Amino acid sequence: MSADPARAALDARVLAWMREPDWREDDERFDALARALWAFQVEHCEPYARFCGARLSGASPRSWREIPAVPTGAFKELALRSFPESRQVHTFRTSGTSTARRGELHLDTLALYEASLLPTFRRFVLPDLPAGRRMRLRVLAPSPSEAPDSSLSHMFGCALDALGDAGSGFDVRDGRLDLDGLLGSLETTCEQGEPVALCGTAFAWVHLLEELERREVRLALPAGSRVMETGGFKGRARERSADRRYAEIEAALGIPPARVVNQYGMTELGSQFYDSVLRDRAGPRRKQGPPWARVRVIDPETGRDTAPGAVGAISIVDLANTGSVLALQTADLGRRVGDGFEVLGRAEGAEARGCSIAADAMLAS
Amino acid sequence: MNATRVRELLEGLRAAGEVLRRRPAAQTLEALAQVLDAWSDPDGPWQKALCEALPRATGFHPETVRAGLAAGLAPYRGESLLRLVAEEIGGPEALDAGRASGFDVTAVVLAGAVPMPTLVAAIASLALRSPLVLKPASADPVTPSLVARSLASADPELGAAVATADLERGDDDALDALVQADCVVANGSDSAVSALAARLPAARRFVPYGHRFSVAVLGPEAGRGPALAAAAAGLARDVSFWDQLGCLSPIAVYAAGRPLADAFSESLAEALEQAQERWPRGAVDAAAAAQVANERGEAEMRAAAGRPVRVFAPGSGAGWTVVLESDAAPRPAPLHRFVRVHPCEGVDGCLAALRPARRHLAAVALAGFGSGTDAVARDLARLGASRVCLPGELQTPPLAWRRDNRGVLLPLVRGCDFEL
Repeated sequence: MSADPARAALDARVLAWMREPDWREDDERFDALARALWAFQVEHCEPYARFCGARLSGASPRSWREIPAVPTGAFKELALRSFPESRQVHTFRTSGTSTARRGELHLDTLALYEASLLPTFRRFVLPDLPAGRRMRLRVLAPSPSEAPDSSLSHMFGCALDALGDAGSGFDVRDGRLDLDGLLGSLETTCEQGEPVALCGTAFAWVHLLEELERREVRLALPAGSRVMETGGFKGRARERSADRRYAEIEAALGIPPARVVNQYGMTELGSQFYDSVLRDRAGPRRKQGPPWARVRVIDPETGRDTAPGAVGAISIVDLANTGSVLALQTADLGRRVGDGFEVLGRAEGAEARGCSIAADAMLAS
Repeated sequence: MNATRVRELLEGLRAAGEVLRRRPAAQTLEALAQVLDAWSDPDGPWQKALCEALPRATGFHPETVRAGLAAGLAPYRGESLLRLVAEEIGGPEALDAGRASGFDVTAVVLAGAVPMPTLVAAIASLALRSPLVLKPASADPVTPSLVARSLASADPELGAAVATADLERGDDDALDALVQADCVVANGSDSAVSALAARLPAARRFVPYGHRFSVAVLGPEAGRGPALAAAAAGLARDVSFWDQLGCLSPIAVYAAGRPLADAFSESLAEALEQAQERWPRGAVDAAAAAQVANERGEAEMRAAAGRPVRVFAPGSGAGWTVVLESDAAPRPAPLHRFVRVHPCEGVDGCLAALRPARRHLAAVALAGFGSGTDAVARDLARLGASRVCLPGELQTPPLAWRRDNRGVLLPLVRGCDFEL
């Protein structure tokens, strides 16, 4: 825990919220905590203070919606810490999707990250798991020991420790999908009739499905099985490709699209968002998250919230980010859907209207 | 348009080409020269029609379209075409004698929202008496049919030799039918052009135009006296026309020395603000606006972290952005009037900064090198630039501009040497 009493008090308030069994949207509580955290961060993170000073002309935000959001790309070049570097205990790094540089999230504690991820994972991926019970979790990603700087591996590691049964484990070793091992595990679950949650990146899923097709393997996983995938938002053709991927998952594993939960998260964020499908089978597929993280879909030119259904940029205020900056401007487009939101893909539209070079092609040339 | 219809279209065009080849080449060139003269007249019917239709179709502001067309089409005169034919292939005699000829049918896949390349593509192909089919870009559905109409109104036999083909996105059969043309000209992103190349049957002429961008390179004299404001005003015009979406749009400025970069970025910001009043920026979709906002925000964060970076932008709205960078490292170009100014160590620093991107370099606006100008221009040509001009002239290339260092007609010519 932080040596700074003000920070320790903030962490304690956020952790208390994360540990409450019932989730309640509480505007007042969120707003008060967000503005208190902002005040702490501008005092302790000089670049963020200057950024906010310029954006707000020296004023303080009157509500959480006015808190200036830092573009996620800034994490590639700047160490955005709200604590002394000497207290750093961990660094998560992005996979480096657009330039050779990788974004970095520096942490002086993993307590908030872990306290946020577990109830959220459980609520959206395992909503039907009785209290005190564990479930078979197979993970198409490397373990935390193999990828210590991957926030995703860390998340899966925590989920396995807290919620996985004895047959749970990681199926990527030495950077490769261990298909034989995975198929062995899945055959066992089929024999036992116990449902399994298969978790992995969209990229790993594509690889797994290709391998299953090549080997002509088709499984009917026990009822109650589910898929959790993360990522897959980097192209404009996402929606079509996700539909196709979900259809292939159903054909190969017998898990219907309604039991595929897509997660939206990023290294720079302490909290994650998930598809609502397992919690609300009747409603539209939409992303939802914990009450200590709020999403806005904004008009990038005005910074104002878009109308429901209109496309805008996804901006997030996450109270779990106590050690860095709480407000992030993502590079993703989305739109509001009911009480949640939909992610439409990366903001890479400039190329579509011109023959001038696209953003990253020049860097790669 | 489905595959069957595309095949029928190509057959019809081949027949129209035979009609053209029975006529003297000079007759066709004369008609094309008339068409160009009509297009280059700001008060003529074709510019007026495009001024009407293009803003609705593309989101460009009407005044920006009007000014962009008037400036961009002014050099496209009939006499320029006749000179071009003489210079590149030896005049109409070479066509009549058979030493140079066009292909039986040419297919042109268009990209982007800038209309001039469509007109040049049609004129070049028909000058060689090769009938052509234009596949419109999704961003500009209006220019190809207007070009076709202008040709038909000048010369019905020319009109019969040009067609447009709207293919459904993802209709691979129709695309495969289209690339059965004897010559295929492909505009688009590098990946789109490569994907099209992979579909081509063997023994077809393929003329690819992939991603290109332009820049400005400024020497010390560009910062002295009125030269500073003149270069900034010129470059602001180059940036503002077509909202920086064309391959002749400058995306970055490489300035020899930090003081020059400082002064120029301020001056450019002022000039872009004035340009915004004269030629307002058009509509921007959410994806492009988000990219602009993110790049601007990242630059603000670099400045906040103490790097010598400055961000210039209008007080309200997002009409334009100038980022004075701390170094010459390449960064994303979100376009839509977003310019980075990079300080470099002299001219060698400017050239070194451009070297990694040389394969994508189109044109360079050059100023401020005084008596060293020719030497710098030579270096830029060696690097790969296909045009070196003054700031303010990037958007007005001559008809004979050797886009991609290749010539206008030559990539479309079948040549034959008679050694009898």
